[in-house]
Amino acid sequence: MNTILTYISVSDGKIKRSSLEVLSKCRLEAEKNGLKTAALIVDENASSLAEKVRPYGPSEVYIVEGSEFKNHLNSPVLKAVSGAMNTIQPKVMAFASTENSKDILGALAANQNAPALPDMSEFELTDKGVKGKRPVMAAKIISRVEAVGDPVIISVRSGSYDLIESPSEPQIKKLDFTVTEKEIKTTIREILTAAGDKVDLSEAQTIVAAGRGVRDEEGRKLIDELATVLNAGIGASRALTESGVYDPSLQIGQTGKVVSPQLYIAVGISGAIQHTAGMANSKVIVAVNKDPDAPIFDITDYGIVGDLYKVLPPFIEELKKLKSN
Amino acid sequence: MKFYVCIKQVPDVNAPLQIRDGELLQDRDRMILNAYDASAVEESLVLTEEHGGKVEVVMVGPDKARETLRKALAMGADNGTMILTDRPDLDSTAYSRILAAFFKDKDYDFICCGKQAQDTDAGLTGSMLAEQLELPYVSNAVGLNYENEKLIVRRQGDAGQEIIELPSPGLVTCSNDMNEPRIPNLKGIMQSKKKPVDSITPEDLGIDIGSIELSTNILGFEEMPERETGKKFEGDPDEIAREVARLLDQEAGLV
Ligand SMILES: Cc1cc2nc3c(=O)[nH]c(=O)nc-3n(C[C@H](O)[C@H](O)[C@H](O)COP(=O)(O)OP(=O)(O)OC[C@H]3O[C@@H](n4cnc5c(N)ncnc54)[C@H](O)[C@@H]3O)c2cc1C
Ligand SMILES: Nc1ncnc2c1ncn2[C@@H]1O[C@H](COP(=O)(O)O)[C@@H](O)[C@H]1O
Repeated sequence: MNTILTYISVSDGKIKRSSLEVLSKCRLEAEKNGLKTAALIVDENASSLAEKVRPYGPSEVYIVEGSEFKNHLNSPVLKAVSGAMNTIQPKVMAFASTENSKDILGALAANQNAPALPDMSEFELTDKGVKGKRPVMAAKIISRVEAVGDPVIISVRSGSYDLIESPSEPQIKKLDFTVTEKEIKTTIREILTAAGDKVDLSEAQTIVAAGRGVRDEEGRKLIDELATVLNAGIGASRALTESGVYDPSLQIGQTGKVVSPQLYIAVGISGAIQHTAGMANSKVIVAVNKDPDAPIFDITDYGIVGDLYKVLPPFIEELKKLKSN
Repeated sequence: MKFYVCIKQVPDVNAPLQIRDGELLQDRDRMILNAYDASAVEESLVLTEEHGGKVEVVMVGPDKARETLRKALAMGADNGTMILTDRPDLDSTAYSRILAAFFKDKDYDFICCGKQAQDTDAGLTGSMLAEQLELPYVSNAVGLNYENEKLIVRRQGDAGQEIIELPSPGLVTCSNDMNEPRIPNLKGIMQSKKKPVDSITPEDLGIDIGSIELSTNILGFEEMPERETGKKFEGDPDEIAREVARLLDQEAGLV
């Protein structure tokens, strides 16, 4: 009732930056409203991660630990989070928006009989619940929304808030948890992880994204080289994830991921709204496209009109030169 | 095998939009079948064509949305139910409650929903429905197979894909990345006119739609803050490429 609780997303044993952004904002909201800030970690090794949230100022860190969380299956996570909510009775339960939080958000709301506002780009507490903004219609416009209730469940788009440090000495509280095999119901057969190095696109500072214009091995090599020079993560449009050229987890956009890097370089991407829905919030946008009327140029800071096969080699060379100086 | 697919009629996000005094003005003539739901219909059709069975579609919406339900029938779904309401402000919670009441006494193997509605991008209804019906579920499916009375779901997670076995009865939410939905052909369109469509109301399901109090509300709409359009560089590829590289370094400090 007097707590804002933030769910700490863990992937591959590492805390996702986006959930610490949410925790930072929740602490500010809690202070403004005279509430407590708490964090909830649900993971196989949750205890060992508690220390990592301390810099962001929670007064309590709740831990739910168990081998059931090793592979993401929604039923144990749902049981853990709803159990934690029953114990803690938070006023707001906040998530970073990830595929795994989307997985349980609706079920959790139904379970808790609580309103849910997903994918917020801004939020604040009100007397009645939460209000804020969320992009809709493939992020063409913003909808101002409110939720009335106690608790309210929200998720927040990555990059919406800055990390703010304010170290605390939180109490670590372990919550009991058991789940039976019968309750889990679904079984995981296999996990296919993307090959190659795993840059988390939602946290990358620089992204080089390839679209249909990148049509062959030579083009992909140029994308790789550019990404290497800039130490960037590689993303792709649906045209290239759908055809299997790039791993589906690299898709950026309405169906794929929402990213907010400092620099986004779109290569051979037309700029369909379903793509820009996932990247228009990047700080600086560069596009390389041979069509001067491609819609992507409407949102670029630096638009290079030209054939990517002719533009990228000197671009990469010049960047290398600048870097070595 | 019996599939139900929950389908929603949504405005085409590619149609021009206008906001006046916080109100969203859309071209109401450009209403379409939610792309994610079209993929769910397609995948259920493929599975029943292979393994036998039936596909039913169900939609909560105004009478005008019937044309979208017909589209799913023209794709090949066997029959449909329209749950009629004119209330325009319903949220995912309300839709999922109406759907839960509809499914309460139904028999099925699997319910398919879209991953999200294309207009609101909420992505809540599917798992809300699963929780109310106490069904196991998998979200964001990018591929479905059927083996030994289970759906084998390929789910796109944050970092990779998971292959998950979902027993019947269960619920799955579908990404549009799993297939290219078929375009109804003339024969399908003709046949769809003869296919049975039940029309019922939420009241028939014991829900007094007028008295539903929403816990989430839209207060209004705003334009996206416009990005200042930057500079476009045209000309010799070598020159403009090098120039932009230098500007990224000097102006933006990004190199
Ligand atoms: C419900 C829904 C959800 C969707 N979700 C997503 C999503 O999450 N992410 C996504 O990306 N898309 C998504 N899409 C698809 C989206 O609408 C577009 O079809 C897709 O983004 C197009 O990809 P593209 O820009 O690479 O290809 P195209 O639109 O084909 O553009 C290719 C561009 O490359 C340029 N080009 C070609 N050759 C060269 C060259 N040699 N040098 C330079 N430029 C060149 C062309 O001028 C063109 O502009 C979704 C669609 C729907 C309906
Ligand atoms: N009015 C509705 N009628 C039938 N199904 C719906 C309706 N609204 C939502 N759904 C289903 O729930 C999914 C997710 O919707 P949403 O929670 O609005 O993003 C959709 O893709 C549909 O499968």
